[in-house]
Amino acid sequence: MRPGTPASSAKARRAQPLGDGTASRVDGLLALAVIVALWKLASIGIGADIVLPAPERVLQTLARVATTARFASAFAATAGRGLAAFGISMALGLALGLAGGASRRVEALMAPGLTIVRATPVLAVILLALIWFPAGIVPVFSAVVMAFPVVAADVAAGIRAADPGLIAMANSFGVSRRKALFQIRVPSAMPHVISAARNAVGLSWKVVVAGEVLSMPDHALGTGMQNARMALETAEVFAWAAAGVILCAISDAIFDRLARRIACHTR
Amino acid sequence: MSYTISQLEKHYGSAPVLAGIDLAIPEGAITVVLGPSGCGKTTLLNILAGLDHDYAGNIDGFADSRASYVFQEDRLLPWMSARDNIAFVLRPSIEASRAQSLSWQALSAVGLEDQADSMPPAMSGGQRRRVALARAFAYPSDFLLLDEPFSSLDLKTRIAVMDLFVEIRAKDGRSAVVVTHDVREAIYLADRIAVLSERPARVLDVVDLGLDRSQRSYTSSAAVALETRLYGSILS
Repeated sequence: MRPGTPASSAKARRAQPLGDGTASRVDGLLALAVIVALWKLASIGIGADIVLPAPERVLQTLARVATTARFASAFAATAGRGLAAFGISMALGLALGLAGGASRRVEALMAPGLTIVRATPVLAVILLALIWFPAGIVPVFSAVVMAFPVVAADVAAGIRAADPGLIAMANSFGVSRRKALFQIRVPSAMPHVISAARNAVGLSWKVVVAGEVLSMPDHALGTGMQNARMALETAEVFAWAAAGVILCAISDAIFDRLARRIACHTR
Repeated sequence: MSYTISQLEKHYGSAPVLAGIDLAIPEGAITVVLGPSGCGKTTLLNILAGLDHDYAGNIDGFADSRASYVFQEDRLLPWMSARDNIAFVLRPSIEASRAQSLSWQALSAVGLEDQADSMPPAMSGGQRRRVALARAFAYPSDFLLLDEPFSSLDLKTRIAVMDLFVEIRAKDGRSAVVVTHDVREAIYLADRIAVLSERPARVLDVVDLGLDRSQRSYTSSAAVALETRLYGSILS
């Protein structure tokens, strides 16, 4: 058979290694299958649904819960809180990171505050927020307090990491400090900003759900989790938690695509 | 404007780098500072560019003037097109549309008008070097400073870019100080060559070249004779 005929092309395609994206997707599915298999084995070993329900039981419960109006409103409210927390953390972190990166003095002034916030346990923040704010605000406030110092530190490091050669070039041509900040330091910091945003989005979901578990607002995945726990419906606790994981996975996928696009423009 | 360096001294901590440099820079000419690697040539340029103020001695003329600096590396912003890289150093002192048109003219002068919208990472080393030269010529400075500007290029590209530099500089008329460790490059470019010693640097010899362009090629006998003299100074 001559090269280029459909059969030989098909063979050539088969002979080629899988693309990076396909390979990593296959690896991801494989890892997920291993986790589910281990989970199933553990649930058989324990033999008590109230301690560890089987994966298929959780899936059935999720399918049942997911069709209720309560779930839809909880999912939307938690998504809204997570996005609000992420947006506020990014705005605050970017502003402080930019100021800290541009000035050693500002960075020194901010350092003790950021260290205290970073070192404070998340539960302590949530408990204090419970005293200060209404239930719906507690998760957002707690997530912002936990996420913005991470963003600020990453952005400041990125601003400082700009190529000193480019800064010297700008100085030699009499470019102002302000212009060098926004046209050299800020674009140089984009990989740090992307990494900061990725960390902030993950942290926001986790802390928002944790805050909801303790503050129990009317509509929230965390409230669903807490109610199920109090009713000893372990499978339902897993189902609500799985909804949180799905939310996080969706935002991660959207964010990864956005990050790749930004990276293409700043490379 | 005349430029004179006198008794210029510089120390890094207790280690002397420049040990009393005396040199007159002829107006509207190319002065090449020739010296071994690490002797303090870049330090000298940084002082002349106003990037380093920690020195003793005088640099008459330089302090009141603006410099266009061509660094050893291209130092182009990778996220800006070739044209925007040039406009970046022109604004805000020059109005936006004029800066864009000056940038295009500068790229045109180095034969890169068709690459105006290209991003530096997509350009060859020779093209990036030409953009760096275009940026230096476009900037409204009083003199040019070039730090081993051609050393990263292969011989053929180096000669092409050096020819371009000499041609544009002759039309432009600005005084230029070029530092290099390459004797043949110095002969190829210079109207005056100042030979520096090992660190701490001092001026060993100053040679005014009367050669026309045809006598400066890498194979001309006049250039070879001059090369012998310069090597003698460096090795003395």
